[in-house]
Amino acid sequence: MKTETAIIAKDISKTFHISEDSHNTVKHRLFNLFNPPKRKDVPALKPTSIEIQRGECIGLIGRNGSGKTTLTKVLAGVYPTDTGFIKINGSTMLMNLGVGMSHELTARENIYVSGSVLGLKIKEVDQLFDEIVEFAEIKNFIDTKVKFFSSGMMARLAFSIAVKAGADIMFLDEIFSVGDMKFQEKAVKVFEGSWIQGKTVILVSHGMEVIRKYCTRSAFMKNGQIEFFGDTEKAIELYKTDNQ
Amino acid sequence: MVLKILNDWLKRSNKAERLWLLAKIEFKLRYYENKLGLLWALIKPLMDIVIYFVVFQIIMQQNVPAFASYLFIGIILWNFFVESTVGTIQILKTKQYLYEYSNMNKIEIYVSTLLSNSIGFFFNFLMFIIFYTFIEKESNGLSIQNFWIVAVFLNLFILSLGMSLILSTIYIIAKDITQIWTVFTSFLFFLSPIFYKLSTFKARLPLFEYGNPVAGIIINARRVMMEHTPPDFPLMGFDYAYATIILLLGVLFLNRLGSKAAEKL
Repeated sequence: MKTETAIIAKDISKTFHISEDSHNTVKHRLFNLFNPPKRKDVPALKPTSIEIQRGECIGLIGRNGSGKTTLTKVLAGVYPTDTGFIKINGSTMLMNLGVGMSHELTARENIYVSGSVLGLKIKEVDQLFDEIVEFAEIKNFIDTKVKFFSSGMMARLAFSIAVKAGADIMFLDEIFSVGDMKFQEKAVKVFEGSWIQGKTVILVSHGMEVIRKYCTRSAFMKNGQIEFFGDTEKAIELYKTDNQ
Repeated sequence: MVLKILNDWLKRSNKAERLWLLAKIEFKLRYYENKLGLLWALIKPLMDIVIYFVVFQIIMQQNVPAFASYLFIGIILWNFFVESTVGTIQILKTKQYLYEYSNMNKIEIYVSTLLSNSIGFFFNFLMFIIFYTFIEKESNGLSIQNFWIVAVFLNLFILSLGMSLILSTIYIIAKDITQIWTVFTSFLFFLSPIFYKLSTFKARLPLFEYGNPVAGIIINARRVMMEHTPPDFPLMGFDYAYATIILLLGVLFLNRLGSKAAEKL
């Protein structure tokens, strides 16, 4: 059963409670029963609604600290929302530089684990395995633990897994800054190829060219709120005026 | 309803595969990374047995028949419980990479880790059977009652899973739960009939057979493996209820506290 919407979010919000001294032991909590820690509330995401259709490529722009990352994490189901409700149809994957791999595992194991987490069967990973290794350019390091990888190799591996294995809904956070020029060219080619078709992609980037090129609709965020959601050109314009 | 869920689960059966994959990798990480490897998993219970044998049979002269086997089965069950609870308190931190970037269900992380511990238990259990049938002088041999061990072990699995869920989610808000639980388990250890004669244990601590959830499991495991009697069913029923309640509590904790793991840890 395929539904048309990929994500429906109504009135979602997220506030982080940051306490000044850390009350995170039993001892501390007992001794300070009547002396609650000073708390600072950071409303990272104010009540927001958004609906994303299957197969759309959505741009997400805004200045640093405008709540882009928090929004993607809530939409991906990594953070629970404080208010409202959210419905996610399908598996999600968040991709940014520190992507989800265990440093203790080898590249081979990480490919299998990530592929499996993304919803593939072992046999399907078997088939994709060579392609992933090829694309990531890590042929000689398949059985090396990822912790010995350079950050570039790591990012390439993560990107390759994401591209080849792919979740239903992908959140790509500044992925075009990964790797050297040669790899970046490859990455762009992937985006221009058939890969993007049929996938729901939420692209977070400060590179307006990328957003303009690939996104049909875009959201502009400011102070933890979506100020505008719709035509990409208009969102970019708003972002540019905000930067002045 | 239940059928629908099961059917759905089997269709997208990459879940079962994934649990097994994660369990295998976990097992490999634990035992193949150090020099002694898997051997260590087998040596450790043997060392424990030697220590307790010397203390309780030779020095204190408890006169329990087939005491080495009596200890053996008790210790491997107990070790499974400790490994699955103490060993998993920080699981949400060590396995953060699995849930931080996708919407994977966290309970799978727990089940796979416990499955990995079960593989370890399985090897220990094989050793026990070999020891009991071929080396133990006072052995009664094998019997059809031995198959009850599956039910006994499942009970322990549920209990450990529940405890693991509770402890590891508390860890999110109180880091020193690790120390508290370590003290508590050593307390439980000495209040379990692992190395005491069962009649002495029952006479001195009458309620602990029920109060300590692991005690009943060990008692029943010995009944089915060594005495060739069916398990003590009221005790088993009680322990299953105990374990189920703890598991439900654990799931509740996971939903309440565990969902905050990504932002708090």
